[in-house]
Amino acid sequence: MDKATVELLARRAGLDKALAQFPEDVAAAAKQASDALAKMKVPSDPRAEPWPPMRVGSGL
Amino acid sequence: MTDLHWMTAAEAARAIAARELSPVALMEALLERIGHLDPKLNVFIRLDGDAALDAARAAEVEIASGHQRGPLHGVPVGIKDIIDVSGLPTTCHSKLLIDNIASTDAVCVSRLRGAGAIVLGKLSTHEFAIGGPSFDLPWPPARNPWNTNHHPGGSSSGSGSGLAAGLFPMALGSDTGGSVRNPASACGIVGLKPTYGLVSRRGVFPLSFTLDHVGPMTRTVADNALMLEVIAGRDPLDPGSVAAPAGHYSSGLQLGVRGLRIGFIRHFHEQDMPADPEVTAALENVARTLQTLGAEIRDVGLPTLGEFAAVNRVILQSEAWAIHGPWLRERARDYGRLARRRLMSGAFLSAGDYVQAGRRRLEMIAAVESALREVDVLLCASSMDPPCRIDDPETVERTYPRQARTPFNVTGHPALAMMSGLSSGGLPLSVQFVGRYFAEATLFQVAREWERTAGAENKHPTVM
Repeated sequence: MDKATVELLARRAGLDKALAQFPEDVAAAAKQASDALAKMKVPSDPRAEPWPPMRVGSGL
Repeated sequence: MTDLHWMTAAEAARAIAARELSPVALMEALLERIGHLDPKLNVFIRLDGDAALDAARAAEVEIASGHQRGPLHGVPVGIKDIIDVSGLPTTCHSKLLIDNIASTDAVCVSRLRGAGAIVLGKLSTHEFAIGGPSFDLPWPPARNPWNTNHHPGGSSSGSGSGLAAGLFPMALGSDTGGSVRNPASACGIVGLKPTYGLVSRRGVFPLSFTLDHVGPMTRTVADNALMLEVIAGRDPLDPGSVAAPAGHYSSGLQLGVRGLRIGFIRHFHEQDMPADPEVTAALENVARTLQTLGAEIRDVGLPTLGEFAAVNRVILQSEAWAIHGPWLRERARDYGRLARRRLMSGAFLSAGDYVQAGRRRLEMIAAVESALREVDVLLCASSMDPPCRIDDPETVERTYPRQARTPFNVTGHPALAMMSGLSSGGLPLSVQFVGRYFAEATLFQVAREWERTAGAENKHPTVM
């Protein structure tokens, strides 16, 4: 993720103050997110459901 | 009689119930030890010694009059400081919540008190149960009693350190990516992440709603089973809580492992994250020993640790951002550096990323379920390295992710970490056992057999 994209996403998330005060921490946070995404396989089956599923009638 | 500070919870409870031990004498002995050692270990954020002594005196009167509250009457317990104890601050080890006084007990604390346990105080953690040992917070990080220059693991750092140092016989921890099992591994104690939903999370400050677990931490397997029997149970006000069958978790402790099928996940520590040779040797010794005792050991394969960790992080970062986003926007300065970096990551993930992680999660659950149809228990590494120095941030950063605990937060299976041996440097090494959903009793059965054979419960650090 390049610097401009990091700044754009940070501002969209409302992290303007953090960006001004802790730019290195914002950049490190963005890198952690992109590193995790790069290692995550995505199911190829379009019918694959997420967990946990919607459940009604219990737990409320 | 055993030194009072090394008594197990079960031993103390039995002796107190039989009026062979005064709960006041036990409490006074522990408070004296805490006064001596805590300045070196930083276990407590808030010691509630006077109230604990008052409760011990009340317990003594009740027991003398024939009133037994429950199986832990008079036994002290420490509580990780993300878990509410009525009247005490829940700071989450953070400046942000430094004045946050809890108005009620968390359900797990309430259950412990109902069984007669006495809360000693609130214990050190990583800030909001994430990050690592930090020196820019209002309280210093806990240290490892096996060597105070070393990290005790986290995030339930005070729980692990205090147990290993003999400051209390039981503690509560929480586990979102391994935070009960990491300090259990680093401090040579027993830590269980129960099946997701078995122990209520109500009254525990959340990190990641679908990954958070509350777990018992003790010095022995039998104490862990005893503690789980007290804290497990349906809570209709926790949306993740499940109506599990009543657990008699101590029932199988003496059964041994003959005939059990144990799946050894070697690729975790051999290929995915090659472990320190001493860790590998200790794991092989555990497997060989259990085989000698009659278990059948089979190799088992699962998705790689890297894949599990990626799914764990995308879910954790997304859910944690939902919790911390408002504070991070306005008060980023009030977080320590490590937590600030970790918690802001969710700002860089999309809703689609979160859902994709959930879809991959279901496939991973299916993979572990498939493995557990062929075997009774899984055996694998917990930490890939012995505990590192606490004052070496690069090594902390490098070794922290080298672990095999996150897979079972992703899947929700119960997982227990304990000592597998000691390194040549005299620091604890660890092993992890993983079971079927709600089969904690089988985990305890295997763990107890290893503990008995290795004499693990009698290994304590020499704390100056």
